[in-house]
Amino acid sequence: MSKTYTSIGKAEKKIDALALATGSRRFVDDFELKDCLHCKLIYSPHAFADIIKIDESPALAMDGVVDVLSYKNTPQILHTSAGQGFPEPSPYDQYLFDKVVRFAGDRVAMVVAESPAIAETAAKKVKIAYKLRKALFDPERAMDADAPKLHGKECYTPIGAAYDPQRNLAAEVDLGFGDLKEGEEAADIVIDETYKAHYGSHCAIEPHSVKTYFDDEGRLVILASTQVPFHVRRIVARVCEFPLAKIRVIKPRIGGGFGGKQEVLLEPLAALVSIRHKRPARLVLSREEVFRNSRTRHPVRVRLRSGVKKDGTITFLEMDSLLNSGAYGSHALTVLSNCGSKVLPLLNKIENMHFLGRSVYTNLPVGGAYRGYGATQGYFALNQHLDILCRRLDIDLPEYIKKHHIREGETSKIFEALGEGKTGVQQFVNSCKLDECIDICTREIGWYGKRDKKIRSGDKVRGVGLAVAMQGSGIPLVDMAAASMKMNEDGSFNLDIGATDIGTGSDTVLAQIAAEVLNVDLDAMIVLSSDTDRTPFDVGAYASSTTYISGRAVRKCAEKILEQIIGVAAEMLETSSDKLKLSHAGVKDPASGKRIGYPEICQYAMYSANQFQIQAVASEFVEESPPPFIAQAVEVEVDTVTGAVQVLKLVSAVDCGQAINPKLAEGQIEGAAVNGISYAMTEEYIFSGNGRMINSSFKNYKIPTAADLPEMKTVVVPSHEPSGPFGAKSVGEIGINCPMPAIANAIYDAVGVRLYEAPFTPEKVYRAIRKQQEVQ
Amino acid sequence: MLDGYLPAKLSEALDMMAECDCIPFAGGTDLMVQHARGSGVRPCFDKTLLFVSALKELKTFDLMGKTLRIGAAVTLSELLENAATPQIFKEILRQMAAAPTRHMATLAGNICNASPAGDTLPYLYAMDAEVILQSRNETRVLPVADFITAPKRTQRKNDELLTGIRIPAAEFNVESYRKLGQRKGMSLTKASFLGLASTANGRIEDIRIALGSVAPHIVRSRKIESKLTGKNIKDIPGILQELQKDYSALIRPIDDARSTAAYRKQVSLRLIRDFLINCMLKKIP
Ligand SMILES: Cc1cc2nc3c(=O)[nH]c(=O)nc-3n(C[C@H](O)[C@H](O)[C@H](O)COP(=O)(O)OP(=O)(O)OC[C@H]3O[C@@H](n4cnc5c(N)ncnc54)[C@H](O)[C@@H]3O)c2cc1C
Repeated sequence: MSKTYTSIGKAEKKIDALALATGSRRFVDDFELKDCLHCKLIYSPHAFADIIKIDESPALAMDGVVDVLSYKNTPQILHTSAGQGFPEPSPYDQYLFDKVVRFAGDRVAMVVAESPAIAETAAKKVKIAYKLRKALFDPERAMDADAPKLHGKECYTPIGAAYDPQRNLAAEVDLGFGDLKEGEEAADIVIDETYKAHYGSHCAIEPHSVKTYFDDEGRLVILASTQVPFHVRRIVARVCEFPLAKIRVIKPRIGGGFGGKQEVLLEPLAALVSIRHKRPARLVLSREEVFRNSRTRHPVRVRLRSGVKKDGTITFLEMDSLLNSGAYGSHALTVLSNCGSKVLPLLNKIENMHFLGRSVYTNLPVGGAYRGYGATQGYFALNQHLDILCRRLDIDLPEYIKKHHIREGETSKIFEALGEGKTGVQQFVNSCKLDECIDICTREIGWYGKRDKKIRSGDKVRGVGLAVAMQGSGIPLVDMAAASMKMNEDGSFNLDIGATDIGTGSDTVLAQIAAEVLNVDLDAMIVLSSDTDRTPFDVGAYASSTTYISGRAVRKCAEKILEQIIGVAAEMLETSSDKLKLSHAGVKDPASGKRIGYPEICQYAMYSANQFQIQAVASEFVEESPPPFIAQAVEVEVDTVTGAVQVLKLVSAVDCGQAINPKLAEGQIEGAAVNGISYAMTEEYIFSGNGRMINSSFKNYKIPTAADLPEMKTVVVPSHEPSGPFGAKSVGEIGINCPMPAIANAIYDAVGVRLYEAPFTPEKVYRAIRKQQEVQ
Repeated sequence: MLDGYLPAKLSEALDMMAECDCIPFAGGTDLMVQHARGSGVRPCFDKTLLFVSALKELKTFDLMGKTLRIGAAVTLSELLENAATPQIFKEILRQMAAAPTRHMATLAGNICNASPAGDTLPYLYAMDAEVILQSRNETRVLPVADFITAPKRTQRKNDELLTGIRIPAAEFNVESYRKLGQRKGMSLTKASFLGLASTANGRIEDIRIALGSVAPHIVRSRKIESKLTGKNIKDIPGILQELQKDYSALIRPIDDARSTAAYRKQVSLRLIRDFLINCMLKKIP
């Protein structure tokens, strides 16, 4: 595609950048509400217990305490907190407040008071008596006959997926093709290894926050730090038994989500307070609460068994994934599915394949959506597995991947067999520049020259590692997005979108798409997003869908507007539409040489003849989910005295189709890469013997500082996805998938120890090196 | 409530200390964290605060002969900026917290907080540094190593302020400091090692080894050090095992959210070995 664009591919400034920098645009907690009530949740210290008694009276006796909510006085409606499309693919297994607590951090009650300080103090005064039950912490034991059962028979899945609370089974996927036995017979060697991806927190800098109030028309307004405003409205209406028509959800500016805010956790609680007391309510979590009580990355144990011929051909591949869902099954089925469906198609030439996935309940923190969404966990296993395979057969890893990965025009049986929680959709890959990505990585990291060289300085040894991945662009046949536009008489346009900018820059990217279609400057677009009263529907910011699906909706909508503009221009110029050409913010008749600007056209349509409002609505619903591709390479230095690993350099090369805004695309990749390095190197949930997270603060749960980060090189490889808006695919999630396996592979390259479980702390690396020395 | 006094002069501060039970408050970087209550809620103190960081008398920094004298209100950033601060001490300070915290935090606060993970302590122990304690009627001087009696415990009396720190001069030609944290910046210490030595003609004239975060107190043993003083460097390998055994008895770390006891112990011993073998042997002429 050699088309020249006016807006696409330009590194436009984020349209909210200045307002954010000056502090004029607000986050949830910046909205001052008069007479606001403050809420403080009370959590269970026990992993599994029945609540015998809640005595609110000492708290209620305090000056300034207004209410205490618990199962006693709140609607008891089974639901899932997962903010997904309806009906949700996650099991209905939770109440707002329950009589049973299922993890240390499960909510028990909520104090409502006149100030945060009173709420804090009062929360400590509520007396709660528990009867302890034996808890379940080991996911491997969850399905044992004698394992404690977390949930009762009343729980169910609204989509009728495999689900059995009697066996602690939150979800199950079992599928395959070909014949494993045949594959095994054809193999020269069998590689059978198990990899473990661990708990992680999203660490969005803005914690989960919500404020609610009744507006002057008596409607309930919910200001929420959310990725899914329309799902919030639907779920609040259902679980609070309050009419949907009376709820308006507004998403202001958001300080990051990464999946953590694709969860409807706080909104119903604040809403209930406003409904009960007809006053504004505020509920903002502390960092400790975000760690312990919100949602996490699901830990997944992945066993990969593969048969390989001497030439490297994989004769069979078996993936067995055990996902620890924690106490509730939020996203348990879909994250599990993606662990296979976003990973296995990469090696589409394998003829015999099987995927068994199980999600089980344990009395530990609850998993949820998190950037990468199962693919991160799956690729941690697959990329190490390929490194092991290549080392055993003495094959060059980059060349091996280039030979075996899915290519343009090809498909994978997995696409059709496995979707997000149900069967998938057959699709062919129409754009794949993974070879280019791999070449950039090997060149930039100096692969040939460093690999296997174990370059030493003193006690420190260097190594290099590589990993690759694909993701998707939205959920095909499930996700829908809509846009609405109207034209104003100065030639500006209102662009109203349900899409949810959570700091990603989607408001800017979607405005660029509309500006491109209409051939106007970006500042002609007035963007309003994520207000359930004023914008059309959109599923929200998840599944790497916004640029692709919402982008297609915006493009379609802008094209409808353009058609109307040209129609009016034809009437004004007394010619036919097909004779006219667009010129910047105007329309030209090449025959007469006459040009009329957008303001004149809109004024004509508003005031002169055959008056009407130039406006349009469009929605998109897609049947495919074109995968973006990435290769990431790292160089590490391992200190053999202390076990400390320093990542020296990280290269990311991505095929995300046409980058609508290259700067924002790079930002997404770098952000995800840092996120991935952090998950690989330091992030870790440490539990006490009774299942309580003991490092629930940034003091002890570390994410990197600038001083810890490597030199980063990010390349967006030219590519074009035919089905995408102006050739775009997704870019938000994919960059988190490779740092962890690439670093593991690099550590092996440096010191010859294989780490099947992250984070790669000095303690772990030290132990592995010592163990290896003892063996030798 | 955050009730506090901002005395204008040291004498006023000492009067306050004598007359009411108050908490000296320097940079507040330990105190504010220790008294945090919850998000959106201000810290709460049960006693009156006495803000000492504005006292001019405690802002001094000078050399008395060869002894460095540091006022109790001098911040870590000011120490880093001062040309008289020894390089190895600067290296330690640079790895503490991050700039915004260092702009507030004081050396006196780090000492009085008396944490085995206090990063300045191994240096102060190794240098035989002293603290100056002043009350309305008395001034006394104590070695830092005696001043700190146990984790979070010091010999400071209720009416005393720590007014200054004295660090006697000493010259070293072998210096090594290693801080192990969960990451590079803004990280509390899992284990730290400081080795200082001066050698001449292949002989050890002076050697000091201190370790942080690996026992309830800073580990420094003059007895073990004396086994090395006067020895030829080339003889170290011969007694290394014995020395490591001696240190092993003193290193008594714990498991916590930052690391494990086993790792702390093994790596400390390796760092001692690394210093005695790799750093020292280089000094054989
Ligand atoms: C983000 C962060 C990172 C940190 N990183 C590190 C690190 O890497 N290494 C490290 O060692 N520490 C670290 N700390 C801890 C802290 O910054 C240091 O211990 C600092 O030196 C304390 O000094 P301060 O002036 O802030 O003490 P304060 O908090 O003001 O006081 C600490 C204690 O000393 C007492 N005190 C203070 N001055 C006097 C005085 N003149 N007389 C008598 N008593 C006094 C106080 O009453 C209190 O008990 C960190 C803290 C934070 C918040």
